[in-house]
Amino acid sequence: MTAILRMRIAALIGFSCALAGSVCPAQASPPQDTKAVQLSPEQLQSGKKTFETTCSTCHGLDGGGAMGPNIQGIPFRLGMDAVTNVVKNGMPGGMPALGSQLSAEQIQQVVGYLLTLTRKDEGAVTGDAVRGKQVYESSGCATCHTVAGEGGDIGPELTTVGQLRGPNYLRTTVLYPGTDLPQAHSFLESGGMLEFLFVRVVTKDGRTFEGTRVSEDSFHVVIEDAKGQFHSFRKDQLRSLDKEPGKSTMPSMKGRLDDAQLNDLVAYLASLKGAQ
Amino acid sequence: MRDAKFALLFAIASAFLPSSAVAQNVPYERILHAQSEPQSWLTYSGSYYSQQYSSLKQINRQNVSQLRVAWMYQPSRPVANLESSPIVADGVMYITEPPSTVTALDVRSGLRIWSYTPTLPEHVVSIGLYATSRGVAILDDTVYIGTADAHLIALDAKTGAVRWNVHVADNVMGYAMTGPPLAIKNEIVVGIAGSEAAVRGFIDAYDPKTGKRLWRFWTTPRVGDPGAETWGNGAAISAGATTWNNGSYDPDLNLIYWGTGNPAPDFNDDDRPGDNLYTCSLLALDADTGTLRWYFQFSPHEDHDWDSDEPAVLFNATIDGKPRKLIGFANRNGFYYVIDRVAGKFITGVPFVKQTWALGLDANGRPIKAPNQEPTLGAGTLVYPSITGGVDWTSPSYSPQTGFFYVSAHETGAYFIKGTGKIEPGPPKGIVGGGGIRALIGEQSYGAIRALEATTGKLKWQFKLLSPAWVPVLSTAGGLVFSGTDEGNFFALDAETGRPLWDIQMGHSARSNPISYEVDGKQYIFVTAGNAYIAFSLP
Repeated sequence: MTAILRMRIAALIGFSCALAGSVCPAQASPPQDTKAVQLSPEQLQSGKKTFETTCSTCHGLDGGGAMGPNIQGIPFRLGMDAVTNVVKNGMPGGMPALGSQLSAEQIQQVVGYLLTLTRKDEGAVTGDAVRGKQVYESSGCATCHTVAGEGGDIGPELTTVGQLRGPNYLRTTVLYPGTDLPQAHSFLESGGMLEFLFVRVVTKDGRTFEGTRVSEDSFHVVIEDAKGQFHSFRKDQLRSLDKEPGKSTMPSMKGRLDDAQLNDLVAYLASLKGAQ
Repeated sequence: MRDAKFALLFAIASAFLPSSAVAQNVPYERILHAQSEPQSWLTYSGSYYSQQYSSLKQINRQNVSQLRVAWMYQPSRPVANLESSPIVADGVMYITEPPSTVTALDVRSGLRIWSYTPTLPEHVVSIGLYATSRGVAILDDTVYIGTADAHLIALDAKTGAVRWNVHVADNVMGYAMTGPPLAIKNEIVVGIAGSEAAVRGFIDAYDPKTGKRLWRFWTTPRVGDPGAETWGNGAAISAGATTWNNGSYDPDLNLIYWGTGNPAPDFNDDDRPGDNLYTCSLLALDADTGTLRWYFQFSPHEDHDWDSDEPAVLFNATIDGKPRKLIGFANRNGFYYVIDRVAGKFITGVPFVKQTWALGLDANGRPIKAPNQEPTLGAGTLVYPSITGGVDWTSPSYSPQTGFFYVSAHETGAYFIKGTGKIEPGPPKGIVGGGGIRALIGEQSYGAIRALEATTGKLKWQFKLLSPAWVPVLSTAGGLVFSGTDEGNFFALDAETGRPLWDIQMGHSARSNPISYEVDGKQYIFVTAGNAYIAFSLP
């Protein structure tokens, strides 16, 4: 299933929930089988070489997309087995089956290398993860975010965020949400478009809606507001459509947490690496 | 006069068999005069001129808003990389299902008539490309397909039975066939893919009846050949210039026009100083002999992967008071070119997207390269356009009604990173050379359907798209332009103004040529999306 299709199904679920006035269930957690791969530096180097001679023409040298989609962090979202299967057997939409071209070992190495492509802005953990979990819970983070199946579905799932993001990035995002948005996975072939983009629309009849872009094409845009409600618009029915990178529906923790609490929260987030 | 006779014969045959396919017979003369039977679609791009234009006008500006799905066909198994453009003749549509299946459909209902799947090797080598098929060619009572393992196969158009099967090139070395053959008088002309495997490109012609090869033109030289001096090493090694899409044909000049791809290795030019003929070029070959009459190299010494494999659009127009035989070409390097197709003389060239790699074009159309725009090691060099180019292989359209050239343009750049690999003897283990790009991050990229004045490249209007789209374009005498987006939209614009008139979300991007045909007095618009082949009509 393609990312855009998954997004559309998620949006449809959201729509039907909104229409029915019911409480939406939390999104299903992604597979948690990223722990299995422990590759040596040599094996990772070999995976890198395979990536750069087989994958990078379409997916970009950093996996961020080129002629093919952004695949940064994809093992964390789909699971190692699913990604291995896609590499081996291909998928509709352009991904060739590489099972005949690459050995099982090469595929394992290249998927292992994919795990290393996405880590952003390392830095050091200075806080305490156990205390950070309490900060997470007391600050209401779980209202919008899911960790290991528990929590809300308005913000991104955080179950493996410690694999994807380093402490510095986590700290920046907690303090200044929206300033360093990741590249979108929900747009096939586009490369470079942003995930969690803040959007403000004004309809021709003067109503204003703000929220996170869930999906967009040349004629439509779907946003999710801060309450988790989805709103769908035809662009020719809008007076304006403004995209505001740097803004977010997530409240900043700046001024709400002291330094120690912040360090602890970052330590907790950095410890979230899926099933261990 | 001949046109009228063929049209009459066709009408009589159709009248006797109003609800079923008639016997297949598409002689060269019918393809030659394809414009006189717009109810059919007899070549990849509609005619030898590759204009992607239909003179049907039942669907027009006034009623296109009522367009709806008439039928859909989906293969029995999901297909990847659906880029198949159909041939429509005498009530039958011939499509391909990637990698190399040919299927005949009833044009009224989309029901399958027959299907043929060749036996492919267990391991088909596809390096730097995906094993797809962009379509078939038809000539007389035979349909022709180039396969993922580089065979050319002739099929009985009525039954799908194999007439002959010839081995065009060695798939183990990375050769593959993805483009549709071009059927002309007494010849089936084909190109080849595989530049990223560092194969040497060529264009072949085969006898339609027997499959015997009639001629081959190698698109890179060897030692002592003309052009060998453009490879620095004397062309001891010269690779690339593959010919993986469809060509065009001028029957009066008896010239075949065919574009060529990038040199190899792609992002590492250390071992190939010089212009690297005939990479990233448009070739004009004598149709009878395959002899090179002229060439025009868009991007000498190319190292950004900007192939020139888009079909060349042939059109006739008046420039400075004189009637001219012209070619319009929106190149992946970001420039739109107008070339005299008799002698290959450059007439004009202007950027149709943002580009940073050239300061301009000289009087002969040769780019004046800007400094520091080559791929570099490490973080790379930011260059516009991106690896996907101003437009890649997806066909543009020319409308004789408006005189506009319509192209789905990509507005995006990328960081180009140099590769370090070299060509090694033996079967390739992966993309030769390495290197590549990093995409721009952020909402900086977009696409647009752009209408250019065909004789000058002057922008007349644009319709912006959310992202650069890999979708070909169709224009019609109904005053419409059809194309799509990578997000799955398919839409119609006013050909004069670019105003959007109709759209539908198909769930996946279109990758095939939108085409048009007519049956039982009803016009259809046809395109593919995801796994689906979709025909639209008015209620």
